[in-house]
Amino acid sequence: MSWIYPLTPGTDESPTLLGGKGHGLVVLRRLGLPVPAGFVIGTHACRTFLRDGRLPEGLDAELATAVQGLEAATGRRLGAARRPLIVSVRSGAAVSMPGMMSTVLNLGLTTEATAGLAAETGNPAFVQEARRQFLTSFAAAFHGTTDDAEAGTRLSGIAVADDAMDQLRAAVCAVFASWNTPRAITYRELHDIPHESGTAVIVQAMVFGSRDERSGTGVAFSRDPNTGEKTPFGDVLFGRQGEDVVSGRSSTRPLPELADREPAVWENLLAALHRIEQHYRDACHVEFTFEAGRLWLLQVRPGGLTGRAAIRVAVDLADEQLIDRHTALRRISPQHLRNAHTPRIRTGDGLDVLTRGRGACPGVAAGRIAVTADRAARMAADGPVILVRPCTSPLDMHGLAAATGIVTSRGGPTSHAAVVARAMGKPAVVDATALTVDVVAECVRADERVVAEGTLVTIDGTSGEIVIGNPGSATVTIDSHLNRLLDWADEISGNRSQRPDQERLIAAHARL
Amino acid sequence: MTGSTGSVVLHVLRCIGFAELSRLADAVGLPAAEVESHLIDLAVAGLVTRTPGEFGGWGLTEAGRVENARRITGEVDATGARDAVAAAYEKFMVLNPELLDLCSAWQLRTVDGVVTPNDHSDRAYDARVLDRFADLDQRAEAVCADLSAALPRFRRYRIRLAAALDRAQAGALEQLVDSTTSYHTVWFQLHEDLLATLGIPRQWATIR
Repeated sequence: MSWIYPLTPGTDESPTLLGGKGHGLVVLRRLGLPVPAGFVIGTHACRTFLRDGRLPEGLDAELATAVQGLEAATGRRLGAARRPLIVSVRSGAAVSMPGMMSTVLNLGLTTEATAGLAAETGNPAFVQEARRQFLTSFAAAFHGTTDDAEAGTRLSGIAVADDAMDQLRAAVCAVFASWNTPRAITYRELHDIPHESGTAVIVQAMVFGSRDERSGTGVAFSRDPNTGEKTPFGDVLFGRQGEDVVSGRSSTRPLPELADREPAVWENLLAALHRIEQHYRDACHVEFTFEAGRLWLLQVRPGGLTGRAAIRVAVDLADEQLIDRHTALRRISPQHLRNAHTPRIRTGDGLDVLTRGRGACPGVAAGRIAVTADRAARMAADGPVILVRPCTSPLDMHGLAAATGIVTSRGGPTSHAAVVARAMGKPAVVDATALTVDVVAECVRADERVVAEGTLVTIDGTSGEIVIGNPGSATVTIDSHLNRLLDWADEISGNRSQRPDQERLIAAHARL
Repeated sequence: MTGSTGSVVLHVLRCIGFAELSRLADAVGLPAAEVESHLIDLAVAGLVTRTPGEFGGWGLTEAGRVENARRITGEVDATGARDAVAAAYEKFMVLNPELLDLCSAWQLRTVDGVVTPNDHSDRAYDARVLDRFADLDQRAEAVCADLSAALPRFRRYRIRLAAALDRAQAGALEQLVDSTTSYHTVWFQLHEDLLATLGIPRQWATIR
């Protein structure tokens, strides 16, 4: 094979060729961790596709062979009426470009295969939903890459063919082509990613988080990304597919709930996180799915923590003797120190966390909840207000201007609300999916809790926490991990004089 | 009592939210005195009201919202513009996430793996963001042209977007995202106008 590599321990190609995601999956296989069977089409195939406007010579034959291998590994057949093989087709560049390229899920659900899987699982509702998701993601993959008229004819042509292998070829082309959507080009321009490198495509047997009540999906961090504390952290969504988490369409549960509902999955997940940390000698996070009580890992990323969390992890890893002190110091840049000085909610016992979203504009803000812009503008005369909305429109601008902090239950860190909050310099939490705003009843709800308008809350625009009351904020100056790290820095630089933290770090870096 | 210009003033106010006269006049593209005269007529008809105070301004009453929705539906039906506006909205929604990426990149950048506020000290970085803004603006121009052909009242957005980008390229950094006449502000209002014109509740629209 010259274009395609199996997701097996023996594959030793570089992340440049396999993409970061594909390479990570091979590492997981090498560690003996559960990864759905699959293969990677290398980034060089994408480069050829983009140059010639068609799939490279020989790829077609390799694709057929690779699918046969996958069929043998799973005991299923692509497009078959009995025991059909269903696959995901995902992008994965050498440098991660989250959300910029196309993904096709549940490919292989032809009319026949859909009926076959329904009969096999005895769960037609689940299969119909999977088929709907396939058609949606397939259509979206084409929508982003061609103009509307062309996408329409091409999509309907393929849909009429109803041939799983044709679908697979079309999906691979769509993922390759999505490398050059204007949005992806903009992303690379802004993040210094070379335009010529191209993306790999990962084809894997689907595992279904939506299969039954013993299935689900989630994201798990080996350490708390807000504090760096060595405690598993993340979200889990029971009975749903991974894409529902990413899109925020469904509300997630805190990861530890997995321990009660699926103890075996939880134990395996903790063991996997530990194993991965030992390998990378760093904190990590994984995307996972469990199907009928069985755990599967779909992606791994080491590192990625910032500020205070990065500092704590570096010091803890040195204490655990996974890395030496020099490595710990090298992992912390002056930017981490600067970031660590952002005020954060004071943590500790008795913190009444209502829910958590994603931080969109750093800083801590305390105030009384208002659920409409009009009321925020009125209430602001009597003290600080936190405006809580599902999302924001221009009609909320006067409320945003009047508020001290902003919360939305939908939209991500690049939503209109987030952009406006940052333009106004106001702490903001977005994507707090567990919150619902009830304008008529003048309250917000989070799970079973009802919090009336006017209730005092505090929000943290870094971690995304929304806390009842006002616990106050804290800066890093009291952080013992930082102090220890800087002591190590002074030992290396030999300079123990009083000076700013950043100078102490930079002096040590100069001698490492 | 309120003719077609009055309807335009009412609808623009519907799309930009509470606003002082000067901001509304800029959005409508008419002299402030003329817009104020229409506002007074609309206020007499009970469709708009002026809220005093620090965060006050002109805004629609509940009756104004209902009346505006009725007029806009009537306009779309009478002109037969619905399909053209819906097609343009689809194209707008392809551009919208990229515009928001660009606004975010203007505000924040990743340095050594840490997301930090863009302090605009790196001119080369700012120039790159501005270049991509200009590239997106060219594609937005095509969408605006489609909209203006379908409903002439959409013409004003092209003028305001181009003016904001011109000012930003001339060195007014706040004209991309921060000010009330910034590119993002006008874009946000265009987004709202498309939803209002097509009768799509914002909560139902695809939101990232």
